[in-house]
Amino acid sequence: MKQRNTARLLTGRIYVGLVLFFLYAPILVMALMSFNASEFYAFPLSFTLGWYAKLANNAEIVSSAWRSLWIAIATTIIAASLGTAASLALFRYEFPGKRILQALLFPPIAIPWLIVGTAMLIFFFWVGIGRGTPAVILGHVALALPYVIVVVSARLQTFDRQLEEAARSLGASQWEVTRYVTLPWIASGVVAGALFAFAVSFDQFVVSYFLAEPGDATLPVIIYTAIRKGFTPEINAISTIIIVISMAVMLGASRFFKFGGER
Amino acid sequence: MAEVQVNGLTLDYGTSRALDGVSLVFPNGQLFGLLGPSGSGKTTLLRCIAGFVFPDAGTVMIGGEPVERVPVEKREIGMMFQSYALFPNMSVADNIGFGLKVRRVEAGDLKRRVSEALDLVQLAGLGGRKPHELSGGQRQRVALARAIVTRPRVLLLDEPLSALDKALRVEMQVELKRIQREVGITTIFVTHDQEEALTLSDQIGILRNGRLVQSGPPRELYHCPLDRFTASFLGDANFFSGTPEGPGLRLADGTLLPWPRGAAEPGTPVIAVRPEEMTVSARQQTADPGRCLIHGELRNVIFSGPTAVCVVAHGDQLCKILVKNSELGGIPAAGPVSVSWPAERSMLINQ
Amino acid sequence: MAQLARHDGARAGLLLAPAYLWLTVAVFLPLSAMLFFSFLSAAPFTSSDWHVTFANYTEFFRRSIYADLLGRSLMLAAIVTLLCVLIGYPCAYILARQVKGRAREALFLLIILPFWSNSLVRIFSWAIVLRGNGMIDHTLEAVLPFDVSVNLMFSFTAVVIGLVHSYLPYVILTSYLALQAIDESIIEAARSLGAPFRVILLRLVLPLSLPGLAAGAVLIFVPVAGSFMEPRILGGKHGTLYGTLIEDQFVAVFNWPLGAALSFILLGVVLVILALASPVLRKAR
Repeated sequence: MKQRNTARLLTGRIYVGLVLFFLYAPILVMALMSFNASEFYAFPLSFTLGWYAKLANNAEIVSSAWRSLWIAIATTIIAASLGTAASLALFRYEFPGKRILQALLFPPIAIPWLIVGTAMLIFFFWVGIGRGTPAVILGHVALALPYVIVVVSARLQTFDRQLEEAARSLGASQWEVTRYVTLPWIASGVVAGALFAFAVSFDQFVVSYFLAEPGDATLPVIIYTAIRKGFTPEINAISTIIIVISMAVMLGASRFFKFGGER
Repeated sequence: MAEVQVNGLTLDYGTSRALDGVSLVFPNGQLFGLLGPSGSGKTTLLRCIAGFVFPDAGTVMIGGEPVERVPVEKREIGMMFQSYALFPNMSVADNIGFGLKVRRVEAGDLKRRVSEALDLVQLAGLGGRKPHELSGGQRQRVALARAIVTRPRVLLLDEPLSALDKALRVEMQVELKRIQREVGITTIFVTHDQEEALTLSDQIGILRNGRLVQSGPPRELYHCPLDRFTASFLGDANFFSGTPEGPGLRLADGTLLPWPRGAAEPGTPVIAVRPEEMTVSARQQTADPGRCLIHGELRNVIFSGPTAVCVVAHGDQLCKILVKNSELGGIPAAGPVSVSWPAERSMLINQ
Repeated sequence: MAQLARHDGARAGLLLAPAYLWLTVAVFLPLSAMLFFSFLSAAPFTSSDWHVTFANYTEFFRRSIYADLLGRSLMLAAIVTLLCVLIGYPCAYILARQVKGRAREALFLLIILPFWSNSLVRIFSWAIVLRGNGMIDHTLEAVLPFDVSVNLMFSFTAVVIGLVHSYLPYVILTSYLALQAIDESIIEAARSLGAPFRVILLRLVLPLSLPGLAAGAVLIFVPVAGSFMEPRILGGKHGTLYGTLIEDQFVAVFNWPLGAALSFILLGVVLVILALASPVLRKAR
């Protein structure tokens, strides 16, 4: 029996290892190639930082990278504030229609982003918002909100309601209760939600694709058009950078939020 | 410091009625205990007085002002929660000073009052600790200090001692009473433990199914319960039912239990007697004057430390009699016995 | 709470309003606008001559290409979902029940991490790997004795590989959450009653974790059905799907009303599938 168990455990680990290999192999290849001097991915490999240098000189990519960053920061601040406020309301109060409100958070995640993106395009054009950075931010915040609310609400579940009652019994107004008692406790959830929002915005492609001004695109959109036109190895470089940033952000978020549940 | 009065309080949670027309006066400066089984509405009543819930009907007056629609943060109350609810991210001193801080008390004054409060609950010097560094008893004192430092008009305690172990509980009962006397604040507390209610309260109110059953000083409730529920909830009681017949109550087996002297032909169908008022002895035929007498079979003697409980079968009911250890010698080991008690100690029960 | 005091209601509203207002403007109104659009003959802001019509919807039935592509997209979604479930569920199971402690958290994090990086970039990385003269060729040449040229790029297979890679973490995540929530003592009770591993798996673990598995499947099926970026990059000519068709209406052909109608048809199909799956999903609450 023990033999069967260890054999099973071993197969298990090998399987997980294979899955991990599948998930990371292409990324590693790409990262590898970004340091490879050969333009056509020919072997043997020769190390170079040339592509990264060329990247720094590519004005289009650099400016869109900054734009993506600013948009992501704006999205983070807005989504984190709005999302935390909404989570607090859902946690504190009972009212008719609460279930419906909670259900309404899902469409942005459940509907294919293609449909959401094109719908936004139609509506914004019609209403006069048109394309461009404001439209992109509008879209990104809407996509990030559900994530923030889910994360902050999860953290609120561990909050003892009686602490709020105690503060109220001592004469604190609702705002004072939030500021001195509730927010300190949920701070880690808010930070995690903010990091999620950043990741959602920074990595967002579909919605940005439809809403971005042709001259003023975000980074993923620029990469897309570049790929459609043909490979340039700078794309490798910028892609590697993007992946490293996203993973770093999520690693940071994992210190504040247990992805695997609070076990 | 103020008198609290509730009148006709009614509150429904969906289809169930948590409070049904409760009216009570909580006298100024007294320790009032709300006692009852779970679901009796005592906690709901407390939270109504606090202001966490608004009643569907009725009034709550604090110091003569109606406050039933005033939110809790404006009622000037102090409340101690069952789980203490200390703010985990703040130190003991900050916890205690929180109520003063939101009242914009000036910093020097705040510090002084916090340290006075710490002295009052005998936790001087622990102001810098965090709640998780304290023991259960210490946390409770912090919760108490935090509730009274703002000099509220009313102090509300929700099952204040239930989280403590036995030895600590007795110690805290004394402490609580001392502090309340010293500060002189009107205090209302909720408990399901009748012993706690008896020891702490100046007055007790018993609730059941959302209704007030009886209220009054502990001794009065203990010695003169009005109904069966109160008699058996507050302390122990043996019940004898029969038909009123002239000078006494006629039981099914023919025994006549004389009414307490001076009672004018009350005519109630039930008599209750506390176990400690009864004595067990060898069979005797007639009662001594002024005493009630019944016959039964001694089933069991249960030793419980300073006293022993004798279980005597009378007809198809079992009676409990509390006997001091020193008196055990005069009681036969088993078999037919007599149980007697002074007629004065019979309690007349309505139902 | 016997009664929500009036000022509490106002406060709740104040806290909720900004977020939901934003969602209304950014999501719900646009969707309604798109619905309205799908019944127009032309976009109101491009030409002044427009009227309400069903033409966009009947167009779907008039030319078979639309239905064909929708079918192709749905099939792609089904294949990808199936593959993800078959690969991902065992992985989640092993993680949840066989790995313990630090290793488990670390592995889980490793698996989830790519999920949070840019999907476009991940697809691009596959483009590099799969192309002719690329890594696969070199590796195979190194291993096998004869010359092999494998060019998987610009094929349906490539699209499938790329999509599976992108969406695999979804099903692993949701299945993992469901699996690790299963009370260990239930399994132990079954073992003490003599149940063999296979029975425990099929009769206990699988049914109990089904809501999580179903949630993951839905989270994969729905986006894949509308995907266009992955098919374009990895599929080339073979990557024409319903999603790319819709994309064309908006960025190439500029027939927005038709694009809107096609989108809504897709949305309808998606909602039907969600409705069918919801009994299973509701248990996940």
